[in-house]
Amino acid sequence: MVSLNLKNNWFNVLYYLICILILVLSLRGIPGNPKDLELNTSTWKENGPLELSTDRGRFALTYSLLENKSFNFSLNIAKFATPDLGYFNGKFVSLFDPGLSFLVIPGYIIGKLLGAAQVGTFAIISIFALLNVFLIRKLSEELGANKIMSAIAGLVFLFATPAFTYSVTLYQHQITTFIILLSTFLLIKYDNFWTLALVWMLLGLSFAIDYPNAVLVFPLVILAIKKIFSIDIQKNRILFRLKSLYILSLLTVLIPISFLLWFNKNSYNKYFQLAGTVTQVTGFDNNTPINNRYVIEDATKYVSPDRKSGFLGSFFYTRNLLEGFYILFLSPDRGIVNYTPVILLGLGGIIVAYKRKMELLPFLFSIIGLNILLYAMWGDPWGGWAFGSRYLIPTYAILSIFISIFLTKYRKYLILLPIFLILFSYSVFVNTAGAITTNAIPPQVEVLDLEKASNSIQKYTYQKNFDYLSMNKSKSFVYQLIGKNYMSSWRYFYVLYTLIMSLSVGLLVVQYADNFKKIFSKISINVFRKTLPLNINFLKRKYD
Amino acid sequence: MTNYTFSIPVNFWKNTGLVLEKNLKLIVGIILVIISITAFVYYWRNGLGIAYNDARSHLDIGRRVIEGLKPGLAQLGSVWLPLLHFLMIPTIWNNFMWHSGLSGALVSMISFVFCGLLIYQFLEQLGVGKVGRLTGVIIFAANLNILYLQSTAMTELLLLATMTAGSYELLIWHKTGNYLNLVKSAIWIMLSTLTRYDGWFLLFYATLLIIINVVKKKSYKTAEGTLILFLTMAALGVVLWFLWNLLIFKDPFYFITGPFSAKAQQDLLSNAGVLPTKGNFFLSMKVYLYALMYNTQTFPSILGLIGAIILWFDNKINRSIKMASTVLLAPLFFNIIALYIGHSVLYVQGISGNTWFNVRYGIMLLPSIAIFIGYLIDKLKPFRVVLISLILFTSFFSIVSGDAVTIDDAKFGSSQKNVTEISEWLKENVTNENSYILISVASHDAIVFSSGLPMKRFIHEGTGDYWNKAIINPDKYAKYIIMRTNDATDMTFRLVGKSPGFSRYQKISSFPFADIYELRPEYWNNLATNTK
Repeated sequence: MVSLNLKNNWFNVLYYLICILILVLSLRGIPGNPKDLELNTSTWKENGPLELSTDRGRFALTYSLLENKSFNFSLNIAKFATPDLGYFNGKFVSLFDPGLSFLVIPGYIIGKLLGAAQVGTFAIISIFALLNVFLIRKLSEELGANKIMSAIAGLVFLFATPAFTYSVTLYQHQITTFIILLSTFLLIKYDNFWTLALVWMLLGLSFAIDYPNAVLVFPLVILAIKKIFSIDIQKNRILFRLKSLYILSLLTVLIPISFLLWFNKNSYNKYFQLAGTVTQVTGFDNNTPINNRYVIEDATKYVSPDRKSGFLGSFFYTRNLLEGFYILFLSPDRGIVNYTPVILLGLGGIIVAYKRKMELLPFLFSIIGLNILLYAMWGDPWGGWAFGSRYLIPTYAILSIFISIFLTKYRKYLILLPIFLILFSYSVFVNTAGAITTNAIPPQVEVLDLEKASNSIQKYTYQKNFDYLSMNKSKSFVYQLIGKNYMSSWRYFYVLYTLIMSLSVGLLVVQYADNFKKIFSKISINVFRKTLPLNINFLKRKYD
Repeated sequence: MTNYTFSIPVNFWKNTGLVLEKNLKLIVGIILVIISITAFVYYWRNGLGIAYNDARSHLDIGRRVIEGLKPGLAQLGSVWLPLLHFLMIPTIWNNFMWHSGLSGALVSMISFVFCGLLIYQFLEQLGVGKVGRLTGVIIFAANLNILYLQSTAMTELLLLATMTAGSYELLIWHKTGNYLNLVKSAIWIMLSTLTRYDGWFLLFYATLLIIINVVKKKSYKTAEGTLILFLTMAALGVVLWFLWNLLIFKDPFYFITGPFSAKAQQDLLSNAGVLPTKGNFFLSMKVYLYALMYNTQTFPSILGLIGAIILWFDNKINRSIKMASTVLLAPLFFNIIALYIGHSVLYVQGISGNTWFNVRYGIMLLPSIAIFIGYLIDKLKPFRVVLISLILFTSFFSIVSGDAVTIDDAKFGSSQKNVTEISEWLKENVTNENSYILISVASHDAIVFSSGLPMKRFIHEGTGDYWNKAIINPDKYAKYIIMRTNDATDMTFRLVGKSPGFSRYQKISSFPFADIYELRPEYWNNLATNTK
């Protein structure tokens, strides 16, 4: 039985090929290399792949760097980036951390050569998503999960959580997750200078990708410091040891930081001016930038009231925690319970890991804790218009690892199989719809005003994604290019859903077939034992 | 690769640890004192220390006992239970202590330090190690709401200290059966019954626990005797309060039925349709839980709940100790019940009403939460560092963002009363005179406080004959009348507004909370006093 322990490479190849196929089929986009005027049309914006200002803002910087060779936005690009547009010293600048916009540059260039610059750009995120699946599998195995359950964990993360949607659009979350997973893997697997140097660079890079990552990766900083500085309690002495060479590895953190300073200097003419702290332009009145409906005359009148630059406390506020927890976990518009209930099985894995006194558990748990607390304190736990709790994507990845541990530990309890399958299939169903349709789901709190303004009912849950499919629409590049000629968007959805479920159920069948075999063998042995007065100890030994 | 190493002898480490452990309580105490003084100075300097309208009233009540037209213990009144005001008496004579609020805050500050140490000891009794004990104290002492309230002349910290002390001694009694601890518990609970009515519920709940414990372990007869022993001291405060009301106000239930009672206030709100929690259990629970979450910054409440569950399901802990530990939840039960039956009012902005009012009641469970978290930290050793880090993480943000719902309540909610304008007017125009001012302190104690004038300049409800005569012939006694015109809830307007003498006054200024009337100059010579 070659497939039972998944040792054969062909199975891994098949696994990743199916994952790649699903990602390709889901990747959002439309063909073409748009000019800046074209970008401002609804084809690219509302009805297209760059539907929200969060992905537009990042794409705008990539576009401006490559097409205009400028850190500052032209008027057309500025209009395209609103309402998340920065304004500094009379110039339009990016309001987002620059790391992501730079990382996707190869994708843009290759895409442009193939006549689909935006698709190429988005594909970079899909590659990171795939790498995350690989790392989740590796980490799961490192932490004691079996290979099949580790593979399942990868599928849970990629297709049964909102991570799916953010694998096919231009957001920073998959890259943040990649940095966390890769750094963790490197730190637990290797102990040498170059690995540590790479980890420090990754940790520095995480800040350039998304500023709150500075908090999120803090447990990894501690883990990395532990490699440099160790405490050894001996019989008579407590020995503190400092590895001098390892200290030098810290210097690599300067590479991404230098990049960030260089970007800041070029964009804002100040090394230490962070992107999110500049004045925000929310729109244009003809060609005049406006903020919150006031015409902007000078920058001092121009600061959005909810952005008190430089003051950490105005971004993260403990009073928001209660509502934040509700939004992230229970709310119909973003809550885990509604969007990805399967991920909660990861809590079972945490308990298993706790009982096993797993050394890495406190670090992984603290990343989850920081991730949840940070974004529950954030003034906008909804993540603006979004699909599910996008900020929790790193948490989904870690909980997926714990799911593999949980499933491995209790693989003999057959009752777990239907529970897992129900939760998993529901989560995949919801998240597949999210991936191939839209992220433009308003938070519940905005709906009443929207309904007043639009004079129509506004939906704020994944029901909006299903409605989108019912209108025979999908934002999938392949669907729009080819698929729509052959099938409805619902059918396209079911093709994807079936692919994901087939792969997952296939893996479970392989796992449980092994279990069933053992169970049936035991039953047979017992039957033999009762019916035949034979000494069957040799059989028992074999199957136990 | 060169490795730099240095080492410490294990014995040195151990000995340092032992010395620290031996003096840990003292160190904790000293740190709490430093935190307490720092917080007081901070809030005193920015003026927030006396932002609560009630804080100013508490200070005035204490002051009236020793200074005014009719000083004496009767000034303790019936609006609030008397312990805080009584404890202010030794210091309130000093004008700085009165006007800075330090006289009342000092009681709160001592209570803060005491309560912090009690949390430490409570956890020690539960067998919790150093780290857990210290975490419990940190949860309590790093809470901005507690730091603010301990810097004010409010009753909350005194209540928390007396209740926690009562609960602590009760826990030891459950553990050891030593009756001396029961007596100590009774004394602390008695003091809590003289601080706030929450203490009365604690008395009831503790009595129940004692009955259950003794009946289970011994007999009904022993329970009877134990109960008499306990209640003799614990219920003394309640009995004295009834007696006080009977002696001073000729009605033992005056504090319940009197015109200034909480019930009278709540009846007014209920009649106006703004007491939504009354009769609505779900809303009462929701409002209180929101207040609790906002006061504790949510995350500790969640950890506290987990800690409580682990404590109650811990097989290693004796059942009677588990039972005793439920006393920590008494404030939760009390506040929800009080809201439900309409004896209490609490507004949480966005949940009930569009303002804050009495949201500080949510702080009552903080010592309990601190104890449960301390226990949790002790039990979940592998998560210890993570949990403490996450607690510090949220505490850091609560401090940098200045997230204290009690300050919002005091500054912007219904618990505030900005009387700066009228007080400034009084300071500028009346300070150098010897005239009397007729005013109802039930409505305007904040003005009396903020004016900075001596108490003896005011004729109010508590000044006996001065008041009785002045409301009939104000023009004979008071050069100024301060009241809310056309507001029947203002006693001065209700009693003086229609008196013939009132026509001799002219309104000289109107302010947000009151108007000032001055006796026309031609009548100044008729003032019965020699003030002009």
